[in-house]
Amino acid sequence: MSWEDSLLKQAREIIDMYPQKRSAVGPLLHLAQSKDGYISDDSISVISKLVGITEVQLKSVSTFYSMYKQEPTGKYLLSVCKSISCEINKSDEIIDVVKDFTGLNNNETDKNGLFTFEAVECIGACGGAPAMQVNYETVEGLSPNNTLKLCEWLKKELPEVVVAEEMQEDFGGYKSFDWAISDQSGTTGSVPGFQTLKTTKERN
Amino acid sequence: MNENVKINVNGTEIQSAPNKLLIEACEDSGIHIPRFCWHKRLDPVGMCRMCLVEIETPRGKMLVPSCTTNITDDMVVDTESDVVKKAQEGVLEFLLINHPLDCPVCDKAGECPLQDQTMSYGPGESRFVEEKRHFEKPIPISEIILLDRERCILCARCTRFSDEISGDPLIEFIQRGNKTEVNTFPNEPFKSYFSGNTVQICPVGALTSTSYRFKARPWDLKSVRSTCSGCPVGCSIELNSSQNKMLRILGVDNDNVNQGWMCDKGRYNFEYLNSDLRLTSPLKKINGEFQKTTIKDIYSDLDEILKNNNNVKFLLGTNITNEEYVSFNEFAKKLTDEEPSFYINDDLLYEGFFEDDIQLAKINDLNEADTVVVWSEDLKENLPVLYLRVRQAVKNGAKLIVFGHSNSTLLDIADYFYTDDVISKNFEIGDSLPMLEGVEKFINDKNVTAIIGKSTPFQADESIKKLVSYLQKYSNLKILNAFSTGNVYGAFHTLSSIKNLSDFSEEVNSDNTDVLFVVGADPIGKSIYSNQIKKNIKDIDNVVCLDLFIHETSELGNYIIPTSSTLGEKEGTFTNIEFRTSRIDKLVPSPGQALSDWEFISGLSNFMKLDNNIDSLEELNIKAYEGLAQQTKPIFDNLDKPSNLDGILNNFEVNISTSENSGTNCDYFVGKKLYGDNVTIRYSHSISLLGAKQFIEANNSTISKLNLNSTKCLLSQDEVEVPVDFIENEKLSDGIIFIPINRRNLNKFDFSKKISITPNHSKAALNVN
Amino acid sequence: MKETLLLTKHMRSNPEDSHLIEVYEKSNGYKTAKKVLLQESPEKVLEEIKDSNIRGRGGAGFPTGIKWGFLAEDEERYLVINADESEPGTFKDRILLERDPHQLIEGIIITCFAANIKNAFIYIRGEYAKPARRVQNAVEQAYQKGYLGKKIFGSDIDLDVVVHLGAGAYICGEETALLNSLEGRRGEPRLKPPYFPAVKGLYMKPTLVNNVETISSVPWIVENTGKEYNKLGVEGSTGTRIFSLSGHINTPGNYEIEMGSSFGEFVETLGNGVRNGKDVKAYIPGGASAPWFRGDQLDIKMTIDDVANNNSMLGSGAVVIMDEETNLVSAAKSIVSFFAHESCGQCTPCREGTTWLEMILERVASGRGRTSDIDLLLDVCDNISPGLSWPPKMTTICPLGPSAVSPITSLMNDFRDEVESLIPTKILL
Repeated sequence: MSWEDSLLKQAREIIDMYPQKRSAVGPLLHLAQSKDGYISDDSISVISKLVGITEVQLKSVSTFYSMYKQEPTGKYLLSVCKSISCEINKSDEIIDVVKDFTGLNNNETDKNGLFTFEAVECIGACGGAPAMQVNYETVEGLSPNNTLKLCEWLKKELPEVVVAEEMQEDFGGYKSFDWAISDQSGTTGSVPGFQTLKTTKERN
Repeated sequence: MNENVKINVNGTEIQSAPNKLLIEACEDSGIHIPRFCWHKRLDPVGMCRMCLVEIETPRGKMLVPSCTTNITDDMVVDTESDVVKKAQEGVLEFLLINHPLDCPVCDKAGECPLQDQTMSYGPGESRFVEEKRHFEKPIPISEIILLDRERCILCARCTRFSDEISGDPLIEFIQRGNKTEVNTFPNEPFKSYFSGNTVQICPVGALTSTSYRFKARPWDLKSVRSTCSGCPVGCSIELNSSQNKMLRILGVDNDNVNQGWMCDKGRYNFEYLNSDLRLTSPLKKINGEFQKTTIKDIYSDLDEILKNNNNVKFLLGTNITNEEYVSFNEFAKKLTDEEPSFYINDDLLYEGFFEDDIQLAKINDLNEADTVVVWSEDLKENLPVLYLRVRQAVKNGAKLIVFGHSNSTLLDIADYFYTDDVISKNFEIGDSLPMLEGVEKFINDKNVTAIIGKSTPFQADESIKKLVSYLQKYSNLKILNAFSTGNVYGAFHTLSSIKNLSDFSEEVNSDNTDVLFVVGADPIGKSIYSNQIKKNIKDIDNVVCLDLFIHETSELGNYIIPTSSTLGEKEGTFTNIEFRTSRIDKLVPSPGQALSDWEFISGLSNFMKLDNNIDSLEELNIKAYEGLAQQTKPIFDNLDKPSNLDGILNNFEVNISTSENSGTNCDYFVGKKLYGDNVTIRYSHSISLLGAKQFIEANNSTISKLNLNSTKCLLSQDEVEVPVDFIENEKLSDGIIFIPINRRNLNKFDFSKKISITPNHSKAALNVN
Repeated sequence: MKETLLLTKHMRSNPEDSHLIEVYEKSNGYKTAKKVLLQESPEKVLEEIKDSNIRGRGGAGFPTGIKWGFLAEDEERYLVINADESEPGTFKDRILLERDPHQLIEGIIITCFAANIKNAFIYIRGEYAKPARRVQNAVEQAYQKGYLGKKIFGSDIDLDVVVHLGAGAYICGEETALLNSLEGRRGEPRLKPPYFPAVKGLYMKPTLVNNVETISSVPWIVENTGKEYNKLGVEGSTGTRIFSLSGHINTPGNYEIEMGSSFGEFVETLGNGVRNGKDVKAYIPGGASAPWFRGDQLDIKMTIDDVANNNSMLGSGAVVIMDEETNLVSAAKSIVSFFAHESCGQCTPCREGTTWLEMILERVASGRGRTSDIDLLLDVCDNISPGLSWPPKMTTICPLGPSAVSPITSLMNDFRDEVESLIPTKILL
């Protein structure tokens, strides 16, 4: 096993949250994603032993879900929505801007490991279409111009913690609803920022 | 008794047993509903949607998959309506849009359910103009199986088989939706003892075996039904040949026995039939060299020898038909007035449990049992399909109690698994049996089916008896004696007296034996008594070997007679572990001058004018079953009746008289792996390497106690040295070291004495006690 | 037309800190749960839910009281909150999770009390990171206060809640797929029969699976009685509902209204009309799975039954407005692509059919269509959803396949000329 003891401890704590070990597969794969930026075969081996299933059974589960990446992702995972409300609000223009800026096609990562681009299905930001997520932090009401600025900002500032509210204030527009509550929490990798996974941090 | 259920199918009323799936009920009444994913022996998943039919519901007609719909009284079903036909056509078109048009080079073509059902139910033309889904053409997913993902229609039969039936889910669906494929994990091949079954049940040519790939077209195949004689389970099989060459073996669904499944050894251990190294002519040793001769010449030599020598002994293998056992028995009776001595080529043979107060179990009793108890050799390695049946019993709700240390492969599904706290390293059972915590509720007054046999050759007979008398006292017990070599049950009831290899090594030597017949046996290559036996045989003046190949034992013969194989080269009968007798049949000619054991003995008897009436197979067949009631006699006439294709059960008298083994104090747990380094496997190219690796197993803590920081080490004792790999097996108890004795030279140690285990590149020997 | 605030009242009154337990308690939060657990019977709660006639807010609209009544007896039963909101056009659960997580937790406590459940899971789609964080914080606060955990509110009742994050699979919104996912398996729908969650659900134990909005409504219903709730809205569509309005509209957003007004009124008042004063060409009344209505059908009432009677569905309450300039073939292709991407791949017609439809539409949309493609599209649809009727018949295991058929039949029924105009009439040699 090549997970560090602290990560294994966290994994066992997660397993203990569930009546049956195998239920922890979902969060443990998120944990693997946060460790390496993708689901490595090595992590598959570790988790399959922890929950008592074969490696290919776990691989079968991990490849079913689009958020468990099979290739290493960049520091920033740019997920531009292309589903119906965004589509009819010209998400193609947003996609073009991101593609142009990063030089990436769908599901590609740049050489420097900075950006991964993907065009994704509905992220639940239809009222603020077109919208995208950076490391699963949502920005709504995008314009092509602001999208470019967002990309440039990410490249220049290299924020350690990606925070929805910060990006929304600086680069977003119309929102699906009033976010109202001030919230500086965000994520620290290409994985949802979530307490159980210890992947969320407050912005300084 | 449950009443039959009446359903109306296509306007005709049919009756069916209750609790049946609609597809089964229809099938039983001769109404075929097309299907891909549904398989009688697998849980239904309703995935392919080919079996959609219309049923009437309060909300009108509804399309439902007949493989997931249970029949109910007065159900009205239409399997041929326009809606159903349209749906079937649609499903087929969907399946075909991404299916390659490589039928001309596909092994499955001609016996392909996709091809056949496309003919019967398909749309006739393709409307798909886009590019098909592409995958790398066949990728090997194990040493013996190849996978073509382009041909795969994702019916999940293989993945369900490996998960539900064999319990080694090493192939799975990867990705989702339109990108879904079947695959293995990188560097974790589909290394299953049962993988060949997935090839057989694959409804397209996605899974193929290295063995049969590109060998023949189905319409050129000749086939015959037979019985596998690889182990006493006696799986029903179909042999396929083309141009007089055996090419493939398939499992036949015999509900009592193998239910369609086989182990891979049974399935692929046939290629040796066509080996260039097969013996094709009789050999006679002259001045230490084998020279070709004729059968007649050998007859005349043996006539001379046998006339002048009274001490004749027989060492028989277990790939011998019942009729052939009878021929040896009749032959031996004429040679001496004494009781003939037959030694069976089996280290683990002992008297077993056949007394009158024992209820013998059938394999299907496993399904009826409340509790299944196992204490025997590793079932998965030695009686693989019985292992599947134990898994099935557990899936159906039976409790499983396993006594160690050999059946560690059952650990994951056992309710109780007793190892070092109950069973000593030498496989002795403690006196605390009735007090075993919790277990009594699964034993007392329950229907218990116990699979009982020796876990290792050194186990004391007494130890097993202790468990059996405990079970007998508290439960309604049925016993399935687990012997594991070929047609050994046939030997039990056809030979007048049976002893084992331990007896042979102690009793048979040049002092008391003038002539030794060794028939299809290589004890020097596989027995733990190898060294002693070799010494003894070498000194015997006249050794007559009947065999397929020259090997460590037959090379010591003065004469070698080339023989036919039980796999497709001869006819006869076979008796399995539950005393079910079934047919062994012939499909291909024997090579050269090879002949059946019985033919040789019959000819020799005639030459010697022994007048023992064993001139024909039919005579032997009838002789084998004298004393049985006419209708239960497994004579050819009876066995060939359609109702008896699955074999005939009988109670036979058993004649085993091995001397009691009081146990040997041994530091090692020795046993056989499925694939060994014997001649037939070595000469079957597909699986030849699977039994080649030399290794020993122990758990991590045992390994670290040995201070071996290498996975390779050297076993040595006197002049025997064998380099082996050290394999970690966490299912073994502390201190147990497993040595597979059917791997090359690993049977050459004296296990009652010290064996040194040293890291391969170090000279510092560590003695283990 | 005005909003009626039941579920969104607390968040509107306390916009900046509605997610905090102290603030929620100041708005009388957790009082109902406490009172119910200490003073009332499970039967009484079930009675209120039945009286309210509330129907599930996830999309299928099954009466909640009846669903609860189906739950089989067992020592071990589970509640799973379906917060896998993924239907394109829908973002109403997101606001409930983000801005009023305690209302959901209170609903969970009351529901578990009514159904004698000791373990609940909130399955939130993985892309909802922020909402999940809010809910996790709220759950932790509730544990600290003793509202979750052992002997909650000082009663004899124990209840544990786990927030579980999904990982990107729309199909997990289907309840049996969700259960597979929660068990650490591929999110493939199970066969019904035999795997009805109320009998064989999570770990093969009886399980209630309810939508966020449904369970968030429980505290109000129990506090104010089911009869009061039943008075809101119209028969068959009682209470309020949060509609997610998006597309070419001036003020997209979530609006909590009583069911019964027309879509046109909704668009004009709360939506403040179509953007740039354009006309509606078509609109989706209930999420991407729903067949479309034409712009001249805006007078249809926003009730479950009215929409169903017009051969579509109110579904998840997601209204998507498409103006006169919308390229409907592209719009339909976007929806079909969505379902092709989200098909689990288990059953043949959905796995192969949705992708094939996507390929044909792609060809047509880019001007490479053939005249035969219109019939082909419809026939492929027919092989997924025989008869192309509504509610859809299906050759598939679950309704995802037929969902991909909806936009195509809408296109072909009402906007066929738009498709035909894209198909070159002359064959270039």
